[in-house]
Amino acid sequence: MDFELLFDAFATVMLDPMNFFFVFIGITAGIIVGALPGLTATMGCALLIPFTFGLETVQGILMLIGIFSGGIYGGSISAILIRTPGTPAAAATLLDGYPLCQKGLAGKAIGVSTVASFCGGTISALIMTFISPQIAKIGLKFGPPEFFALAFFGLGIIITISGRSLLRGIISGLFGLLITTIGYDPLSGLPRFTFGSRDLLGGVTFIPALIGLFGYAQVFRNIEKMQLLPAVRSKVEHIFPKLSEIRSILKTLVKSSLIGTFVGSIPGTGGDIAAFVAYSEAKRTSKNPELFGTGILEGVAAPEAGNNGAVGGAMIPMLTLGVPGDAVTAVLLGALTIHGLQPGPMLFRDHLDVVYPIFSGMIMAQFVLLLVGLAGAKVFARIINIDRKILTPIIFFLCVVGSYSMQFSFFDVGLSLVIGIIAYFMEYYEYPASPILLALILGPMAEQNLRRSLMIAHGNPLIFFTRPICLFFLVTAVFTMVTSYRRQKRMIASEDSI
Amino acid sequence: MRGADFKAGIGMILLSLWVFWYSSRYAEVVINIYGPNFFPQTLSVFIFICAIMLIVNAIKGKSPSKGEWIDPKGFVRMTIAIGICVGYILWMQVIGFAMGSFVFLWILMTFLKQKGVVKRVASSAVASLTVWAIFRYFLVIPLPTGMWGFTF
Repeated sequence: MDFELLFDAFATVMLDPMNFFFVFIGITAGIIVGALPGLTATMGCALLIPFTFGLETVQGILMLIGIFSGGIYGGSISAILIRTPGTPAAAATLLDGYPLCQKGLAGKAIGVSTVASFCGGTISALIMTFISPQIAKIGLKFGPPEFFALAFFGLGIIITISGRSLLRGIISGLFGLLITTIGYDPLSGLPRFTFGSRDLLGGVTFIPALIGLFGYAQVFRNIEKMQLLPAVRSKVEHIFPKLSEIRSILKTLVKSSLIGTFVGSIPGTGGDIAAFVAYSEAKRTSKNPELFGTGILEGVAAPEAGNNGAVGGAMIPMLTLGVPGDAVTAVLLGALTIHGLQPGPMLFRDHLDVVYPIFSGMIMAQFVLLLVGLAGAKVFARIINIDRKILTPIIFFLCVVGSYSMQFSFFDVGLSLVIGIIAYFMEYYEYPASPILLALILGPMAEQNLRRSLMIAHGNPLIFFTRPICLFFLVTAVFTMVTSYRRQKRMIASEDSI
Repeated sequence: MRGADFKAGIGMILLSLWVFWYSSRYAEVVINIYGPNFFPQTLSVFIFICAIMLIVNAIKGKSPSKGEWIDPKGFVRMTIAIGICVGYILWMQVIGFAMGSFVFLWILMTFLKQKGVVKRVASSAVASLTVWAIFRYFLVIPLPTGMWGFTF
């Protein structure tokens, strides 16, 4: 850890008003996307990535970090006000958030949620700043077998936690990997599965696929359902929590932030798991666990500190090893690649001029989130009342623009639309979409390093089992899949007995 | 979902056989045994195995029960919306990005029965012009110009 570089980066990021501007735009856009049920932080990042193309790398990444942090926090606003979480990460917040709203304390709940998100995000950003370089040092020792095992580990984890059926998750992952074989072969340069089309020579581009999977698919569901949401009727007042109130929940804030950071750093988990783990831990260790669920500040603080703690946590494996912590960091990984950077240990060796600004930008984003969240709570509450029949067409429009702007190609728009239609049907047949996204990112890494490893070992597969780091990742991935399969069997057995 | 799983399994078997056969031609082009055919063929083997497992689950009655299903009226609404989008992609290339986007948004909002003509016109205009302005002046990313040669 080079402290001089770190302080330089802090000064550079924080003293440039344009950086603050882009973080502010990102946070505001993220909160709006997060607050609106039916939109997710993943979708927000996917739709707004094209807007970063014309920006400098650091500014673009800062904006996306803002969207990520704001999106995870924004879900709490609708969870508290209309008992509908804006993002899955806010599902635990409504347990005490909505009862607080019913007691006429909606403003207080949103204020505590904002402070908790700030706390979670800041602690996780600090941990990310100091731990990531150490993990990257270990990553520099990786060879092709370790990178293949890492890709396998990342894919294995995301498959196990996506959806109810392990088999369907594996099938989604395999199809995602098959899609990555379209285009030039990375080692020989031979075109594969292009059928003479020049548009497919570069393969299925990441952004159109992402917009198809998470943008178009969600828009189609929204149009199909066209459900009206309950209007926000509660008054949002007295937002700023008192110091005595913050003191009473301080221990919960710190503990939940640490839990969130740890859970978020495990690839394949995310803010929603972190939030529930933090909530249940806070309840378990509380002096009054029976009050949880009735509308207490601790019940809002714990999940919000947890889910925003997962933001920094998820960035750790993404930056250091190139394995995304969750779907949103998968999008951020794609964004970094588009800007010409390859996340992983080499990023810390060759691009410290980007890494340290990311760290400092992440910390700055939490302060901006605190300011924007507290100052704009009333405005964001009103945004939930936007007519869906106006909002959905606008999101549809942004999907078209986003998929076009990557390569200025209508082929990408059409491809994205087709992927969106497939993803729409996939949900009804219970095939998860997240493994496809991860496969698009990790597939090329898996293929190249698998082939390289076998060439190095002259075809001997034992190369993957004689190197300790490689063996660790492979065994952990298989162990997670086996335990997930057993858990699903138990769940199905208990559902049958009911 | 037994029927759906059975059909999906058959489809996946056919796909995996096709992928295995089609990618075998890539082996003829390079001398390395871990050539361009290796990964697709490996994947096709795993897809084949998963397809068999899916079919076996369907036959044994272990397929998950159907959860929430598609609303027929909603599906028709969605299909028409996709058709409008396809039309938008085509007419955008004729009349340009901003005008094409305005027309698309207005038609889609009208189709979804959004009440209030003024709201529809204002929302469509603001959204299309804002995105146009951001891409043209701030990001400097070219947008479709239409047959008259300007993006407005």
